[in-house]
Amino acid sequence: MLADETTFARLMAAMQDGDRAAATVLLTEAGVWLERYFRRRVPPGQVDDLVQEVLIALHAKRATWDPARPFLPWLAAIARYRWVDHLRRTYRDAGEELLEDSGASDSDEDVVLARVSLERLFAHLPAGQAEVIALVKIEGLSIEEASARSGQSASLVKVNIHRGLRKLAALVEKAD
Amino acid sequence: MNQSPSRAALIAALAESTVPVRRVRPAEGTALVAAATLAAAAGASAIFAFWSGIATGAASPFFWIVNGLLLLLGAASTTALMAGALPQVGARPNAPLWAVAMLGVLPLAAVIEIVRAPAGDAPAGLADPDALHCLSSSLAAGLVVALAAVLFLRRAAPVALARQAWLTGLAAGSLGALAFGVTCPLDTLAHLGLWHVLPVPLAGLAARAIVPRLIRW
Repeated sequence: MLADETTFARLMAAMQDGDRAAATVLLTEAGVWLERYFRRRVPPGQVDDLVQEVLIALHAKRATWDPARPFLPWLAAIARYRWVDHLRRTYRDAGEELLEDSGASDSDEDVVLARVSLERLFAHLPAGQAEVIALVKIEGLSIEEASARSGQSASLVKVNIHRGLRKLAALVEKAD
Repeated sequence: MNQSPSRAALIAALAESTVPVRRVRPAEGTALVAAATLAAAAGASAIFAFWSGIATGAASPFFWIVNGLLLLLGAASTTALMAGALPQVGARPNAPLWAVAMLGVLPLAAVIEIVRAPAGDAPAGLADPDALHCLSSSLAAGLVVALAAVLFLRRAAPVALARQAWLTGLAAGSLGALAFGVTCPLDTLAHLGLWHVLPVPLAGLAARAIVPRLIRW
């Protein structure tokens, strides 16, 4: 059974005092909670990596939790920060790849990630940017194929994808 | 429960390295920024000499208005900065935005005063020979405040880096101008409204560009 807020808070206070047994239980339970948190946000293959990243952050920043405040919103804020950082890295890498060419060579994970993360945000992009991001990053077309399909020049396709992904990253980072 | 072997190993290693920690308190950050402001004011006074007109009552009302608004902006942005220094979700205070808007009235008023002055009688404003001195000294004083804020933020765990960077710049710019302001005997609206306010947006822009990479964790 997943630990509740009161249990988390008690364990965290003990961990701040240096209790290693409490730390083990807390990190284990937080791992379960984080798995649920990330399961709806990233592809399954990336969940464990993100959970471990947050556990490291939780441990490193344990002094920043105030026992007068609830624990789970504190943990959720760290989890969201790490998730945004993960998306930012993914989008930045995707943008750099595109400038070098060949969006069709993305791994399956990247495509799934793009599908999960981008579709909900497409409404915030100009139509031209959203269209070519969908063609290249979701359907897996090459720059040339996307150019032929969209009627945009190959250079414009690259620029639109690059700008669109940067804007999406900024949107995610700003969102509460 | 299904836990990957690597995660189990990580948890064991983290638990093993767990030692007592001293809590990070936003009040300590506020005190640090306040101390940095006082240190910057003391340093400015040591270098340029404290303006005695403040103590003797010779300072004009503009002096008190401008520096009062700088103090309010510094307090609002520092409070918001420290509130966002620890991980949290939910609404964030927008008092700094209103304080910036209020401060923004001053340059407008200064420009109006300069434009409407009779020819040959324009107050020291755009061509103010002391402008660069006040601007650069205020920014230098602001750097002391910014360093204190960044040092604290690196101990803490801010999760909205862009916002924290803006707030650092606003606090540094306003408190830096305030700290240097105690040495400046030029108390006209044109001088104060332009050259003691301009450090605020400049520091904000600089901090927005630089601070995120210093406080990312």
